[in-house]
Amino acid sequence: MSQAFALIMAGGPSPGLSVLTEVRAAPAIPFGGKYRLVDFSLSNCVNSEIFNVAVLTQYRPHSLSEHLGTGAPWDLDLMKGGLRVLHPFQGGRFGDWQKGTADAVRRNLEFVGEQSEEHVLVLAGDHVYTMDYRPLLDRHAASGADLTVACRRVSPHETHRFGMILKGPDDRVVGFEEKPKRSKETLASMGVYAFKRSALMKILADETCLDFGRDVLPRMLANGASVRAATFPGYWTDIGTVQSYWEANMGLLSEDPALDLYNSEATVHTRSQDQGPVCVGRTAQVDNNLLSNGCIVNGTVQRSILSPGVRVAEGAVVTNSIILHETVIEAGARVDNCIIDKNCVIRADAHVGAGDDNTANKALPQALNTGLTLVGRDTIIPSGAVLGRNVTVHSGTLETDAAYKKKKGVPSGSVVGKPAD
Amino acid sequence: MLLAGGEGSRLTVLSEQRAKPAVPFAGKFRIIDFTLSNCVHSGIGTVGVLTQYRPHSLNEHIGIGKPWGLDRARGGIRLLPPYQGRGHQRWFAGTADAIYQNLGFISDHRADAVLILSGDHIYKMDYREMLKAHVSKGADLTVAVMEIPIEEAFRFGIMKVDEEGRIVEFAEKPKDKSKGNLASLGIYIFGAKALDAVLRREIEIHPDLDFGKHVIPSMLADGSVVQSYRFSGYWVDVGTVDSYLNTNLELVKGQDALDLYDERWPILTQSEEKPPVKIGPQGKVAEALVSNGCVVKGLVKNSVLSPGVHVSPGAVVEDSVVMNNVWIGPGAHLKGVVVDKDVRVGAGAVLGGGDASVANVKNPDNLKAGISVIGKGAVIPGGTKLGCNVLVEADVDEKDFDETGVVPDGATVERGK
Repeated sequence: MSQAFALIMAGGPSPGLSVLTEVRAAPAIPFGGKYRLVDFSLSNCVNSEIFNVAVLTQYRPHSLSEHLGTGAPWDLDLMKGGLRVLHPFQGGRFGDWQKGTADAVRRNLEFVGEQSEEHVLVLAGDHVYTMDYRPLLDRHAASGADLTVACRRVSPHETHRFGMILKGPDDRVVGFEEKPKRSKETLASMGVYAFKRSALMKILADETCLDFGRDVLPRMLANGASVRAATFPGYWTDIGTVQSYWEANMGLLSEDPALDLYNSEATVHTRSQDQGPVCVGRTAQVDNNLLSNGCIVNGTVQRSILSPGVRVAEGAVVTNSIILHETVIEAGARVDNCIIDKNCVIRADAHVGAGDDNTANKALPQALNTGLTLVGRDTIIPSGAVLGRNVTVHSGTLETDAAYKKKKGVPSGSVVGKPAD
Repeated sequence: MLLAGGEGSRLTVLSEQRAKPAVPFAGKFRIIDFTLSNCVHSGIGTVGVLTQYRPHSLNEHIGIGKPWGLDRARGGIRLLPPYQGRGHQRWFAGTADAIYQNLGFISDHRADAVLILSGDHIYKMDYREMLKAHVSKGADLTVAVMEIPIEEAFRFGIMKVDEEGRIVEFAEKPKDKSKGNLASLGIYIFGAKALDAVLRREIEIHPDLDFGKHVIPSMLADGSVVQSYRFSGYWVDVGTVDSYLNTNLELVKGQDALDLYDERWPILTQSEEKPPVKIGPQGKVAEALVSNGCVVKGLVKNSVLSPGVHVSPGAVVEDSVVMNNVWIGPGAHLKGVVVDKDVRVGAGAVLGGGDASVANVKNPDNLKAGISVIGKGAVIPGGTKLGCNVLVEADVDEKDFDETGVVPDGATVERGK
């Protein structure tokens, strides 16, 4: 038996991911064609021989639950341990909504107490990386630390996005700053924590500890607990914004990607859909793509990532885009610098991601200003419609929407449709 | 009852180490997937698979039947291998003998009708329609039939039927073209009692009991009701290397012949856990089926790639079928070849594309259409020139090739010589 069990945090609303998290929690977002974000942490667990895993949910868990099922794709459908999905609940000492990552674990403290493993691995459901947790756990156990934080070096310009760590002798953590505007440190917490279970239960007895980075870490340092850092040299990224989602996906297209999905030593497991091989037709042109099972391509697809079951008709052109499951791009349509969610139809001759105007998105100007246009799930873009850059189309918007009635098209930065209920 | 025990010797090295139903097909599938999917989509939840010749690959593929939803508490999928009894042990000596030796399995399941299928055909068929016809005609046996080109007739069971569809004459693999072109597809529905009776009677006369050769003629002779059921869809027996390659390449042309993407009738298989297809940066694909886990940095044209194939920069694959985890080196050129799993094609090797009229010297009947076949796990040295109708045995090593690096049309490269 492994010395640790894992808790995967999958309950946050992730507003930075715009329409992608409108209908699902971030860990359920498709990634790299056929995967979901949660597959990485889950696969890391089983590849590290951790077969006792709980996923903590709260925000829109349905898509995630559907994906996880009984845990069979990860061999986590076990009699003992295996996969458990923990939901918010009422009643008892801990029953209520979760107010943060640490609070989510506190709500499930009874579950934590019932497990027989000595250590707890706290993970995020929206990180993309392949990591063997065993060296981390071995060092954690050998050092006798209450908490070991996995860390990586980041550029000094990025410190505002991370919890920065000041390391003393023997890898001891002696200082911590949560998302500092400026910092002398370049060692950032990855949000991957190995706790001694007793230490975790002790700190979470404090009900004001809501968040691991903001509350738990500083308070443990203040209390004089033994906290250590373990540096991880590999690829790691958290998917908190549309831009980071797009960059992490596109990174897979490079000649020698930092994240190697083709490494059989660390297979990323997922619920595979039973679909035929990719069919590339006579009129197709494909260049520098990831194409998943069930795709039928008869048009042009360049520098793009297609999830299973996507159809690209003859004469359609898809460039620099991410197209999720079962979406249909009809004849003559053009899609450039877009993320198109599942089950959409881009009707004939529509042009999504058009023009040079880079006006930022009206609803999310801070996050959507790099020219990416986002189309939510179950959406129909009408025939001949022209949508500019940084546009968001809410999930379920139909072709009858008023935004498409204007002659000059949908200008850059627009928000089309209504938020999902 | 799915017959999956035959050797399929005409597929040469492709079915040397595995039964024919386990041969990969259309990229990520195996031949047997089509029949198994037909069963479950037709509401048949109890399937016996009869194995005998090299069943390991097939066993591995079927597992507990999960991909087909056949991992059931009652019924589900059962492998029916040859077995020993007290005081006797017999291999399956013919198709009907295999069923005879498993009559106990049939009676245990108490079905009124038994569907007998072949594990090596590519088609989609709703057996419920055929069963309905079988019941409404009160038949003892119903045989699915299709009109085929007359020149192919010598490979099939050919029959004549009356206007009610009742079979009046049956000839197994006739040389004589006057028998017509209505062919048996090897899909039978028997009344369970009739099946039991005829097998027990005929096994006394023919120890190598075969459906086409013995059972059908004897039922016609004894006055049983033997009906035909016309099937009009796509149906292919991929028994030869030629039809294997061509049927694969037919699927590249689009979804008209056989739609692999029909959500109402998906072909179910044991999918390998592999990432999506990666094309590029220098890769090009024109008319191809490419399965998950493939990395294409060269050119792939009119071909079918199984999961995990690596096509290096500058390599060209055309008019070919390449199975799982094959590595094709930089600048290699494949044309009109079938490459089995785990083969390494060295840099700059040229496979296929010689004189197609020179048949394989050792195996002239099965390799004469120009196609070269590379056996599982073979290593083709860099720079090798390999012609048409060449057979490379499984697991051959670099040292099995002579120094000239030339393998002439019709040659066979043998292991450890």
